[in-house]
Amino acid sequence: MDTIEHYQGYDMKELDKLYNRIVQQVNINLRELEFDVRPYVENLIELEQMNKFYAFYGITPDHPLDLVFRHSGLAGSYFLGKCSVVNSLLYKSDIRGDELKRKGTSFTYQDFAIPLTSDEVIEIEDSALVKTLVHNYSHDPETPEKFFIKATLSMPYANIHGSPIDGCFLGPFATVDLTTTHDSVIGKYSYIQAGEVNHLRIASGTIWVNSPGNFNFYYRYEPELLNRYVNITRGSEPGGMIIDFIEARQDAFQRIFDFVNLEAIEAVPASASLDRYAVILPKTTIAENVLVSQRAYLENSSLGKGANAQENCFIINSNLAGFNVTAHGAKLIEADLEEDVFVGFNSFVQGTPESRISIGKGSIVMPHTIIDVTEPLDIPEGHLVWGLIRDKHELQENSVALSVLEQKNSFFTQGRLHFEGSGAKFVKAFKDRIHHILEVNGAYFDADSNNAGHAQRNQKLSLNTIQPFQFGEMEGMYPDIVIRL
Amino acid sequence: MEHYCVRDLMIPISEYASVRVGTSLLEAIKALEKAQEAYTISKYQHRAILVLNENDQVVGKIGQLRILKAIETRYDLDSETAELKRFNFSDEYIANRRDQHRLLGPIIKEDALKNAAGKKVEEFMQKPTAGEFVSEECSLDKAIHKLVAGPHLSLLVTRDDEIIGILRIADVFAAVYHEMKLYGLGTES
Repeated sequence: MDTIEHYQGYDMKELDKLYNRIVQQVNINLRELEFDVRPYVENLIELEQMNKFYAFYGITPDHPLDLVFRHSGLAGSYFLGKCSVVNSLLYKSDIRGDELKRKGTSFTYQDFAIPLTSDEVIEIEDSALVKTLVHNYSHDPETPEKFFIKATLSMPYANIHGSPIDGCFLGPFATVDLTTTHDSVIGKYSYIQAGEVNHLRIASGTIWVNSPGNFNFYYRYEPELLNRYVNITRGSEPGGMIIDFIEARQDAFQRIFDFVNLEAIEAVPASASLDRYAVILPKTTIAENVLVSQRAYLENSSLGKGANAQENCFIINSNLAGFNVTAHGAKLIEADLEEDVFVGFNSFVQGTPESRISIGKGSIVMPHTIIDVTEPLDIPEGHLVWGLIRDKHELQENSVALSVLEQKNSFFTQGRLHFEGSGAKFVKAFKDRIHHILEVNGAYFDADSNNAGHAQRNQKLSLNTIQPFQFGEMEGMYPDIVIRL
Repeated sequence: MEHYCVRDLMIPISEYASVRVGTSLLEAIKALEKAQEAYTISKYQHRAILVLNENDQVVGKIGQLRILKAIETRYDLDSETAELKRFNFSDEYIANRRDQHRLLGPIIKEDALKNAAGKKVEEFMQKPTAGEFVSEECSLDKAIHKLVAGPHLSLLVTRDDEIIGILRIADVFAAVYHEMKLYGLGTES
């Protein structure tokens, strides 16, 4: 087996050995699928850059602090809550443990009420995560106190959300959501929410939401069309229109990571929260109860009451009326959203000044939806939209009124969408989850009620930095560190 | 059932219809037809042909079903339907999708048949799997077990690392019937 050393042609240091070991571990887990991750990792992490970026962690009275780092590289990554990182390489990744379960609470799964005997911990071992978000909590009833990530390699802008994962490869912009995932390959720009997945090789651009016995939603992008937006070839970094869009704005992030203390932005309501590592450009307005997470990018936009912009979101020249969820990695350009619009993970909603996109009240943009128009587009209120939409015809094919979907009770096929089960249960599941997201983010906060969320609690958060070895065999690695209250 | 061994019932490779990698579907059908006409020793005709590489090694097998699948191009076009089973869609839904595809038009038409005729055998042949091999020294008991467990319509018979023949289910079936008669079964009336 070739090694990363051979690919990169410089002296083998501890970082190289560790990377080789991780790649080998992932390949061993994926051998049954005959999948080799090496072509994808040749230029994935610039190991010589791993000593250039500090890592940082949050301190807050609202979350337990227990961080353990052993034999790992952590360049530019962020940690909050209880996390353990062992024999792993993290590059500019966010490990957000602010929704982990707490000791003494109870986790409900089907008919089981599972008492937690200890605080939940995110355990990352033998893994390489690149620009990846880890958030939420384990939904696996077999490991309610451990949100594990083992022998897994994830490419840029992947999301591991509430999904313990073992022996997997996640392509760029792949998302596993509320799904325990073993020995599987999740192709680029695929979104999987299926409870549990084992030994599956999931093709690029697959959008799969399955609740066994309730509903099953499956859509797959035409590969050639998806490649325009996200592509990956052997030995190359990920490319495509969405990558280009992000990279064109990277300089704006450089300043906020270069300075230890930035000036506070004025005119932000007391109940709203702007993360210190978010980019906010003029003329952006922020209303009450708004949450803006780190690595979010806002430019010339307005966020109404209770709206949120989660990690890796871009909101440009857009208006959000209020109570809008812009999930991890979603992008809105030249768009007008009425209240209660949900835009799912990694969606790319791009209008132009002459061709704005309007999305009506209560509509749901499915995770990993691409809307890219050169003529104005109006999505009516109360609609579900998915897949690739470039004009009115494709909107017709890839959308349905929620009220119509609620009447479906067997199966239907629409364009490239396959749906089976109860439309009413599907709509209810989404609406319940959107309400829950708004609730935990503090969108409904009222000073007279005890319902503070992330937007309010994050105001009591401060940050510390930790640094890697700069020289010698351990260059780019971090010393073993334990940080706890 | 220890009276026969695999060697006694197999058809040697040299007597079996075969084509080379790179042969077209049309030529493969002709080879199969020719073999069926020529082979008169057994009342059972050839139902498959072997695909050999340049070193005369068996690399695949083509039966009538494989040929029909190669002609039924809509089956390939609708490969996503087959995938849906992996994504927990019900048999009922998948059957419905297949019905919808069947309604798209007839298979037996000139352009579809012309396209199929030009396909190369390696595009649609069945590659041997691990459980499909049996040694020439094996007892018929073991061969029957492999046919049933596969399930397979034939097994590839080996001597050391070389494939030397084919053991067909029809010949095994005839041998079983013969054994039954030896035990006096089926002769009471």
